[in-house]
Amino acid sequence: MVNPVLLLAVPMGLAFTVPVIERITGRVSRWVPVAAMLFNLVLCVRLIPAVLEGPVIVQLGGFVPPFGINLYVGPLGLFFAGLIALAGLVISVYSLTYIRTGPLARYHMLYILLLVGATGVALTGDLFNLFVFFEILCISSYALVAYNGDRAGLESSVKYLIQGSVGSSMLLVGIGMLYGIFGTLNMADIARSVGMVDQGVLFVPLIFMLGGLGVEAAIFPMNAWLPDAHSSAPSSISAVLSGIAIEVGLYAVARMVFTVFGISDLFLFLAFLGVLTLLIGEMCAFAQSNIKRMLAYSSIGQIGLILFALAVASGVTVTGGLFQFVNHTFSKGLLFLSAGYLIYRSGSMEISSLQGMGRRMPLTSLAFTVGSFSLVGLPPFAGFPGKFLIVRGALERGGTVIVVLTGLVLLCTILEGAYFFRVVQALYFREGISGGSGERAPAAAAVAMILLMMLILALGAYPQFAETFLRSAASDLMGAVEHVGSVL
Amino acid sequence: MTGVEIILAAAFAGALLTWFIGRTSSTAGSAFAVAVLLALTALVALLHGRVYETVFYRGFLGLPMSLRTDSLSWFFAMATTVLAALSGIFSLSYMKDRKNTGFFNTMLLLVNAAMLGVVFSGDLLSFFIFWEIMSWSTFLLISFNRGQGVNAGLKYIVMSLVGSMAMLVGIGWLLGAFGTLNIARLSELIPSASGGHQLVLLLLFGIAFGIKNAVMPLHTWLPDAYTEAPSPFTAVLSGMLTRMGIFGFLLILYVMAGAARVLHSPGSTVPTYNVVLAWLGAVTIVVPTFIAMLQNDAKRLLAWHGIGQGGYMILGMAFGTGMGLAGGIFHTLNHAIYIVLLFMSVGAVQHRTGGVRDLNSLGGLARKMPVAFIGALMGISGLIGVPLTNGFVSKWMIYRTLILGGAPFLAFAALIGSWGTILSVYKFLHNVFLGQLPSKYENVRSSPVSMKIPILVLSFAILLFGILPGLPLKVIDGIVVSFGLPSLDVSLWGIASEAGTLNTVNLFAALAVGVLVVLAFVRILGRSERVGQDSNYSAGCGVPRDRYNYTARYYDPLFRMISPYLKDFFSTLYDGLARGIGSLCEAVRMIYTGYVSSYVMYILLFISAMIFIHLTWNPW
Repeated sequence: MVNPVLLLAVPMGLAFTVPVIERITGRVSRWVPVAAMLFNLVLCVRLIPAVLEGPVIVQLGGFVPPFGINLYVGPLGLFFAGLIALAGLVISVYSLTYIRTGPLARYHMLYILLLVGATGVALTGDLFNLFVFFEILCISSYALVAYNGDRAGLESSVKYLIQGSVGSSMLLVGIGMLYGIFGTLNMADIARSVGMVDQGVLFVPLIFMLGGLGVEAAIFPMNAWLPDAHSSAPSSISAVLSGIAIEVGLYAVARMVFTVFGISDLFLFLAFLGVLTLLIGEMCAFAQSNIKRMLAYSSIGQIGLILFALAVASGVTVTGGLFQFVNHTFSKGLLFLSAGYLIYRSGSMEISSLQGMGRRMPLTSLAFTVGSFSLVGLPPFAGFPGKFLIVRGALERGGTVIVVLTGLVLLCTILEGAYFFRVVQALYFREGISGGSGERAPAAAAVAMILLMMLILALGAYPQFAETFLRSAASDLMGAVEHVGSVL
Repeated sequence: MTGVEIILAAAFAGALLTWFIGRTSSTAGSAFAVAVLLALTALVALLHGRVYETVFYRGFLGLPMSLRTDSLSWFFAMATTVLAALSGIFSLSYMKDRKNTGFFNTMLLLVNAAMLGVVFSGDLLSFFIFWEIMSWSTFLLISFNRGQGVNAGLKYIVMSLVGSMAMLVGIGWLLGAFGTLNIARLSELIPSASGGHQLVLLLLFGIAFGIKNAVMPLHTWLPDAYTEAPSPFTAVLSGMLTRMGIFGFLLILYVMAGAARVLHSPGSTVPTYNVVLAWLGAVTIVVPTFIAMLQNDAKRLLAWHGIGQGGYMILGMAFGTGMGLAGGIFHTLNHAIYIVLLFMSVGAVQHRTGGVRDLNSLGGLARKMPVAFIGALMGISGLIGVPLTNGFVSKWMIYRTLILGGAPFLAFAALIGSWGTILSVYKFLHNVFLGQLPSKYENVRSSPVSMKIPILVLSFAILLFGILPGLPLKVIDGIVVSFGLPSLDVSLWGIASEAGTLNTVNLFAALAVGVLVVLAFVRILGRSERVGQDSNYSAGCGVPRDRYNYTARYYDPLFRMISPYLKDFFSTLYDGLARGIGSLCEAVRMIYTGYVSSYVMYILLFISAMIFIHLTWNPW
């Protein structure tokens, strides 16, 4: 069996070779992220059979947990690693031609580091290790947001940096408190002894960690950095931030709540928080006339939806939530990628300036449409199975509060439909300036978008395959006892 | 593959192929689209009389998805494909010189395929999936004409989403409660569910189907959508697509809740639901029909009738007797035939006059476009329910049900609706085809052949089903029997029932005698003189052309009298609601102030508030 550490070590090694390669030949460096993510993807696929039999525990440096740091490669971790690799691969193909100017080597290096950080967060079994990978993720994204070097980019990058640092400090304070209480930072070790400690004492570190991780996970009210950062970053980076970074943040929140702390008292509150995040995200998106800000707010909404699904905490809804992770990565990725070239060609981020693009850029507009339909949750696209699972699970679980919250979730879907369909109409059914051909998206971007569209359609038509795997990922997330048992 | 699977596979594959063929040549694409629609019609016809269910897909989240066919599905599928094929033929010349014909054809076939999927679904998951595909492809087609169509499309899809979200909750709940979505299984399980459960389900599904069928007060999408969609698609939309709502109501009420069984048993919520539905149907008949009278746009006038006629179907169907049910279903078919015919006539006029459909500027086209005129004349006869047209038979059945069922008020409502219909469609016919021909339309040519064919076929169908109502009623009787109601005594010429017999032979004879008598009188006593088309108004005196203008402000006194009462209150309400939500969203957006200090404040406030709550009340 291949060692899962390679998922982190190889891309990270490649990341630091980028400046060297850049020195030797400038033409190859942009292929390094493609190679790194392709490697990770192949590795993930090869790990699937082993992981389905039981989680793979890797002891770093040969120290036995809880004394050493361990990686916990269960179905959930592998799911995230695979998703990151796949999305990272597609987006790096897109970046081949999209990113043309600026310090290219730094872009590619930071891009890989961002993805390594995300993969690390998903795979680690140690709290401090989690913090470190989190910082790698965050710091590379602060830099990448400002990549364009324009005023808006710098401003939002600084804002993101400030809020992210506050979040990280909170996280660190929380981790410190846990170390004070338990004397260990191994997740499994804490989970084992969490029942022996007074719940009241645990609450404060939990809230600190929730607040800290909530910043990166874009949970309301800690998500104010997101609209600025996502809208002023280059579109490929927006796709990664929306499709991967905040999802990994939410994963970390879920890991804390489900596995480490294992408290179910807070679920109802988190479901509320999820619906609140969803409502506010969708309402702000509805009020936007700037396409990238609209997509960014829509990401907040999706995070809220997934948080709700996870917090209902039945097997079906968690599976649905994880499904929605996949859908959001693909659809929002596709939306940002297509919006990237739509904006590039029309020269403006205003929705009104995208009118008539359906004729000028047929493929890109089609990609945007598919992404929109999928995100709203229309069949036969990938958004539908996820939404169906969430609604089904929430109603099965029952309880007046949950049913009312589900109703609110579906109301948000209507709002979401309204603003996405508005853009689709602008693309196809409103008169705009007609331009000639020859301004279509370049081949690399087309390949990336077609790939994502095919994934969305395949997942929408045949969700069974993903669902089988996601069900074991969901039980991985919810089964704290098994987690402890397999690590220690 | 069984028959149903082949039909659906062909329908969806046909849509996809049309796209690719249309990219190379739009003429070839249109021809291929028509060929596919005709082939589908033949395939569906072959399915007649078969009853079976087959699982076609197991790959969706462990829920088997199945297709089924029985008399109900077949009836709706047949009507859908025939009308879609006729609309396809009609669109050949209508869409000829327009942009994006390939897209139009593809979407037309996709809508058709989705409708077939809806009627053939054997479980609610497939039903929902096909329903949603139908909704979004309809949205794209309504927006197709651009301009106002964009707003109409957005209104449609938002209301449609409201309906489908309600349905999704209903489906999720059914799955949770009964563990299956198979319609046949559910029909065994639901009647035993508690009254409250039944009511909630009927309400949730009722919202979805009520929006699709444009039952008041959920009708506001329809006038805009019918008016703004391209005319061949308006035909499809008005003919069967909107009536998928009726299909849905039949499905939940009669197939799943078993209304026929529980309607007269105490303790069930279905009877109450039926009564409310019937009254909503009555309101839907009366108000829109009079609003129709006030319209000056030919398509909008017909659109309001589309709402009103839907009320008749709801009324007949909700009443729950065999005769009423058969009347409601038959009316669905009849309405589809004449409304498609009417929209095609308007479409033909639009095609030849350069898109004009304003009732105040058209006129006198009967001579120029005789086939379109015949179509419009037959169409409004059916719409009014003139004896020996199809509309008469179904309305007769509905009236009879209401009077015998002891619902005089509902019958009266239906009757008032008929008056309004007569007044408004006469305005329509007169202002487009009769009266004086404006000089700018002197050179209007007759409709192209591909428009004449469907118009004549449908005109013939109106007479055929009016004189020989037994043809469709035999099939409808099969549906009624499959719901567990007693069979109607249907003969080729009409219906016999204990309370009165409908026999179109007698009607035909009476009408023939009447016409002969009048003709004889005219022959013997009358001395006629031919006058020109322009000079009939002023009894032969010369009137300057184009000043013959009473067609504008038609029914003006009546208009002044009733218009204060006929505001589309709900449309105003929903528009206000949408605006309110818009400004609420604008307000919510202010949370994100743009100042990083306040953002950091939010983070710290969240943490401290949580800790404060924890320490003070200790809720967790």
